[in-house]
Amino acid sequence: MATESDGEEDTTGKLSGSQNLAVDDDSREMAKKAAWSVSSCKPGNGVPSLRDDNLETYWQSDGAQPHLVNIQFQKKVKLHLLVLYVDYKLDESYTPSKISIRAGDGFHNMKEIKTVELVKPVGWVHISLSGTDPRDTFIHTFMLQIAVLSNHLNGRDTHIRQIKIYGPRPNPVPNQPFHFTSKEFITYSTIR
Amino acid sequence: MFLKMSLSRYLFALSCFQMNLLREAEAALCPANEPNSEVPNGAAGHYLLGLIYRYTSRRAFAIDHFMQALAIDPLLWTAYEELCVLGAAEEANECFNDAVAVRIQPQYFFESSSQSMDGASEDHSIPSSRTVGSQDSPKQSKQTHATNNIPCYPQGVVTTSVQSANCVPSNLSLYNTPPPLTQLSGIVPPPVYRNAYLNALGGDGPSKPNAHATIIQAPRRKFMDEGKLRKVSGRLFSGSDSGPRRSARLSGDAMANVNLHSSQTGANGTNYSSTKFLGGFPSSKMGSTALRSVSNRKGQQLSTESFDEGRRQDTFDVPWSQASAAASSSLSVISDGGNTEQDRGYPANSGTSGHESGVINGAKELLFLLRILGEGYRLSSLYRCQDALEIYLKLPQHQYNTGWVLSQVGRLYFELVEYFEADRFFDLARRLSPCTLEGMDGYSTVLYHLKEEMKLSYLAQELISIDRLSPQAWCAMGNCYSLQRDHETALKNFQRAVQLDSRFAYAHTLCGHEYIALEDYDNGIRCFHSALQVNERHYNSWYGLGIVFLRQEKFEFAAHNFHRAYHINPRSSIIMSYLGMALHSLKRNDEALVLIDKAIIADKKNPLPMYEKASILVNLERYDEALKVLKQLIEFSPRESSVYALMGKIYKILNKHDKAMFYFGNALDLRPPAADVAIIKSAMEKLNLPDELEDSL
Repeated sequence: MATESDGEEDTTGKLSGSQNLAVDDDSREMAKKAAWSVSSCKPGNGVPSLRDDNLETYWQSDGAQPHLVNIQFQKKVKLHLLVLYVDYKLDESYTPSKISIRAGDGFHNMKEIKTVELVKPVGWVHISLSGTDPRDTFIHTFMLQIAVLSNHLNGRDTHIRQIKIYGPRPNPVPNQPFHFTSKEFITYSTIR
Repeated sequence: MFLKMSLSRYLFALSCFQMNLLREAEAALCPANEPNSEVPNGAAGHYLLGLIYRYTSRRAFAIDHFMQALAIDPLLWTAYEELCVLGAAEEANECFNDAVAVRIQPQYFFESSSQSMDGASEDHSIPSSRTVGSQDSPKQSKQTHATNNIPCYPQGVVTTSVQSANCVPSNLSLYNTPPPLTQLSGIVPPPVYRNAYLNALGGDGPSKPNAHATIIQAPRRKFMDEGKLRKVSGRLFSGSDSGPRRSARLSGDAMANVNLHSSQTGANGTNYSSTKFLGGFPSSKMGSTALRSVSNRKGQQLSTESFDEGRRQDTFDVPWSQASAAASSSLSVISDGGNTEQDRGYPANSGTSGHESGVINGAKELLFLLRILGEGYRLSSLYRCQDALEIYLKLPQHQYNTGWVLSQVGRLYFELVEYFEADRFFDLARRLSPCTLEGMDGYSTVLYHLKEEMKLSYLAQELISIDRLSPQAWCAMGNCYSLQRDHETALKNFQRAVQLDSRFAYAHTLCGHEYIALEDYDNGIRCFHSALQVNERHYNSWYGLGIVFLRQEKFEFAAHNFHRAYHINPRSSIIMSYLGMALHSLKRNDEALVLIDKAIIADKKNPLPMYEKASILVNLERYDEALKVLKQLIEFSPRESSVYALMGKIYKILNKHDKAMFYFGNALDLRPPAADVAIIKSAMEKLNLPDELEDSL
């Protein structure tokens, strides 16, 4: 699970980003093999800029709101964390302020699972996808859609510099109900 | 004429083999239109042919030819090694018994008499060294005088090394002047050898006394530690199997190990230079002194530290040199009657009078050593690890404390899943022969299992700095990344290792494991199959295939593959547990439980089979027994979250909610990963608890 760094969330629950990407060791990035698409983009600032691990490059939308980023997986995956990198100081009116996250099987049955508001965010914004119930720690889905509903200062287009999606790691020992945590168990549990 | 032709054929076959043109190589050695012609170059030829058959998956023929190679030349250790890998070796006592000493004899006689080697690039024994002397370092010349009568046992390489400039396979040296008729003589050890070859040599080689070392060191300096030898960087000699040099090596080992090799081959360096090789051939210097020491092998401690790092290039040199050394040493032994002080100037060994008996004595000593090493190696290939350990303990102290032997022992402990011991032995081996590469991939896996990130990354860095082009170094590097869960980078490193040496089965296996971690099962299967093609008895690959099928829930296939792995290594408690798991998934529960019980007995320290047993019992609804097992497990490993979680689950099913809560709480306290937290918490929620307890959750 992501640990929100201090200062990321202010008293009203709005996110403002943190310097560090703080992700647990037992999570892994899930979207390397997913299909990414956006509703619109300016040439040269498209999807690759979202996934290139370079915070200098960004995706710039080029159309009407809401701007959408769609991530489609090859099979149903468990996800629990979404992290975006945005920078108010550099992007000002291009910085998203209201983001809606939807999940579903495809474009036809997306359902909103979370809405967040950002307030002058600078840095990584960690958005947890879990519900309150422990059974809802992970969402199980084929597709995730990130919708930028509005920007700061009422900007039309938006910049997002990087997006990462995290889910749990599979158990290295197959067919086990629980993960092994202690050293003795882990040492003796596989052959390499 | 005839001789030349057959030697040319051998050379041609060797070159083809190096270039991976196996069909042409085979055709050269066994021409289709001359079905009854003899395989050129005697034992080495048979060895090469055996390798060709092995890599084209014709196991029976391969075994046949390796046996023939051994019959012709009983000191051809690499052939014996190949037989062990194929799982078809006979007992070392039979192969290396004293009776065969008789067979070795003639070649020495022959060698000594064939002084006139043509210069061409023959390396042959000392005499050849003479000829090549000019090309080589001055040491050579020294050697020559000392060696005059010393037959060089698989020489060959020496000369070529001289040429080294273009790294022509020293195999060229295979040409021995003696005509093919004398099978024994001048048989050049097969060119192919592993990096490890040197290791092996070094490893078992006795250590030389330091005094010797100094003597030897003086000139050439490159003492080669067996381990150091590396394959010719040009990959002329393909890799995985250490070559034939072994025989030379062995001779060297046994006899001269001590001194000889050290002095010999300093394979270092980047140039193939024969110097090294020759140097190795310690001959020059070593010839005499080495020989002497050799005879005293028993007493000598070779200071491995004096060894230089072998560089790849020299590898093949080394073997030769060693061989030659060995040869020399044998001779010296002979002449000396076995005892020599190291510094005694050794007069040209020419005790022709005592020659014959000398040879026999020397050979017997060598064979004694080979018997132990061979038996140990054979048992370790059969995964009878405890027995193999006992056998290695029979080695004399100074032989045991050498890089090769210690890393073999380390490997045995690794197979026994005793990682701490394995770590200790490998560490010792590395300290004794720091440039050894063979077996270091196993060490990196041990460190991976022990989760020693620091040590592992240090090992990987060191190996890369020793030899950037060796597969073991990249395997270690990949293991490092894999430990940090960066599977893509790990995969890249393993693929590099594969690229460097596609006949190195373990690299393929590790690629497969990374693909599994990345959930790319098709590629994983492909990699495991490649590994199995190189070495069908590589049980890790069978295990890997089993894992893939387990994940894909194809339980029949999984069971079959685990069974194959079990068949090869019947003592591994981990394989037994997995096989039990697969059988349980196939609902063959009784067999599963039997196997799991066996696993528990086989290795008391391994908690996995007990956990599996509990898991299976839960599925069979035998809750009380399961609880009993789990309670035992708690004694064994009190900080394992999954044990408590499973107990909680059982108590929940048995409706003992307070106990369930207690154990779930314990499980959560041990901080399992998020996925488990979710499961445990939701299980707790569903428990029928009084309100106040629920609130406190």
